[in-house]
Amino acid sequence: MAEPAVRPVRDLRLDFFRGLSLFLIFIDHIPGNILSYFTLRSVAFSDAAEAFIFISGFTAAIVYGTVLRQRGFLLSAAQTYRRVWQLYVAHVFLFMIFTAEVSYTLNAADNPMYAEEMGVGNFLNEPHVAIIEALLLRFQPTFLDILPLYIVMLAGFPFAMVLVQRHALWALIPSALLYVAVQRWGWALHLYPDGHPWFFNPLAWQFLFVIGAVCGNFQALGWRVLPEGRWIPWLAGGVVVFCALVSLTWLIHSIYDPFPPVLAQELWRPAIDKTNLSPVRLVNFLALSVVAVSVLPRDSAFLAGRFAQPIVLCGQNSLYIFCLGILLAVLGHFVLAEVTDRLLVQLLVNAAGIVLMISAAFIIAWYKKASRPAASAAAARPAE
Amino acid sequence: MALKHLRSLIALGALVPLLALAQGTPAPAGCEVPAELVQDDPTFPILAERLKTKQPVVVVVIGGSSTTGRAAGGGDAAYPHELELALQHRYPGVPITVLNKGVAGETAEQMAARMERDAIAENPALVIWEVGTADAVRATNLDEFTATLQAGITQLHEHRIDAMLVDMQYSPDTTSVINFQPYLDGLHQIGDLADAYVFRRYDIMKHWSEAGVFNFTDVPKSERRELATKVYACLGERLADAIDYAVR
Repeated sequence: MAEPAVRPVRDLRLDFFRGLSLFLIFIDHIPGNILSYFTLRSVAFSDAAEAFIFISGFTAAIVYGTVLRQRGFLLSAAQTYRRVWQLYVAHVFLFMIFTAEVSYTLNAADNPMYAEEMGVGNFLNEPHVAIIEALLLRFQPTFLDILPLYIVMLAGFPFAMVLVQRHALWALIPSALLYVAVQRWGWALHLYPDGHPWFFNPLAWQFLFVIGAVCGNFQALGWRVLPEGRWIPWLAGGVVVFCALVSLTWLIHSIYDPFPPVLAQELWRPAIDKTNLSPVRLVNFLALSVVAVSVLPRDSAFLAGRFAQPIVLCGQNSLYIFCLGILLAVLGHFVLAEVTDRLLVQLLVNAAGIVLMISAAFIIAWYKKASRPAASAAAARPAE
Repeated sequence: MALKHLRSLIALGALVPLLALAQGTPAPAGCEVPAELVQDDPTFPILAERLKTKQPVVVVVIGGSSTTGRAAGGGDAAYPHELELALQHRYPGVPITVLNKGVAGETAEQMAARMERDAIAENPALVIWEVGTADAVRATNLDEFTATLQAGITQLHEHRIDAMLVDMQYSPDTTSVINFQPYLDGLHQIGDLADAYVFRRYDIMKHWSEAGVFNFTDVPKSERRELATKVYACLGERLADAIDYAVR
């Protein structure tokens, strides 16, 4: 169990799939978006949120885990909390935009016919409470729910990582027990104002983050993440194909009614239970990730190629691109709702959003490289 | 000469709705929709039987603030009352009563809690459940929302009552701050799973908005009540179309 003398070459697959999930989160965050029918969730029970949280756990284990191993707990925790602070500030910024949007909307749509819909602005009646609750992450307006999850995951991470490095089971067993308890008894954190649970229940989603961290720790140590054996990718492939076929029958049924939806009575409600990361979603996602790493080897020429580069760059700057994506989704949705949601405009909004995300990633990558002192310019610095 | 005839024709045309009003039969013109927007698979065997044998029919509408019809002055202007008039017109000789059990601002869970007392106790042939707006506004748990709908419909079917779900109003100004889509999808899917007729109010109102029948944005204060009155009359008529189709 010797520690690796040199940091292993960065696994570009992490950046690639994280970049891809950032695009999908952007697309799925525009309600009624036609492209959202072509994202992962049409052919799987899980969607981009699972990929994002898993990969975030994985990379956190590599970056902060290496610091923890070489420089100790304090520095690793301090670096993690610097990230948490950046995420928190981004969340507060997005909350400001949301509040502006609600105030504008209430003014424009003030009509007794929509009395019930106007309830979305109730928090403005007691801003002194609402703002405090938003700062405490207990007030999460629609569409702004994944950042608080990420913040809570990272805030607990330095402590979880100590357990992960002691032994994978030290972290996995308590984490799995908490997950099972949530599935069994519905444990949840509650929100202002009505006491509804968090949209993404951190008590359930921590399991996926910890699984990601354990896998990332294995990779950082140079160990095999998956046990040897050809049956593993085949089994995972079987699960992926099965879930894809079932989901597709649902999609076809929603477009063409006489087509029968397979297993809808049994699986449909668990499949949409994103709040508690239902076991069918978890199993489907883990199978998908096994298939993804089997199909796309680490040294694949594709990852270093021109086509993958913009996606990889987005993944390498995921904090900024993620926040930008949420912001662009809010603005894009505003355009579709206020101007027109004609098909052409929808496609333009999607394309514009993705182009802006990629452009921002190029600018950030350039800035990082250009502002690096000349002497150390050769040594690649890992992204978050 | 020709112009004069045209004028009398126009005058006659204007008289027709007036006559219709005088007879107490609402016939809002121009808000027809393509048939597929009001049609769904499930049928209403209980209601069909009562209509066929001309037994008294009770329909209960349980819902939120749009069901109360407050925007149009409530009571007789609410869409359940318009539905009652439309059904009485279409099934002459059958005593039909539509009861309005709308309470503003309620979630699916709150409505399900009063289903027994407010709906089942009235011994209806059909319960129309207008639901989902408050849930989308408050972002209630989607899993609990769908579970509540499914349990409510099962409860109605167990009491041998036909069930219809009415989804949310199309509200173009608030879609940027309220995430309707998951609740719309969830409601439609539960209708499918639990075999309840789904009345797609959201799509119907969206159709009206896109076809220029109604304009739901930037309505001047003085025209809001009139708009609500017309929309509720049209909704009552389209609901009657859906019921006609379900008792086929």
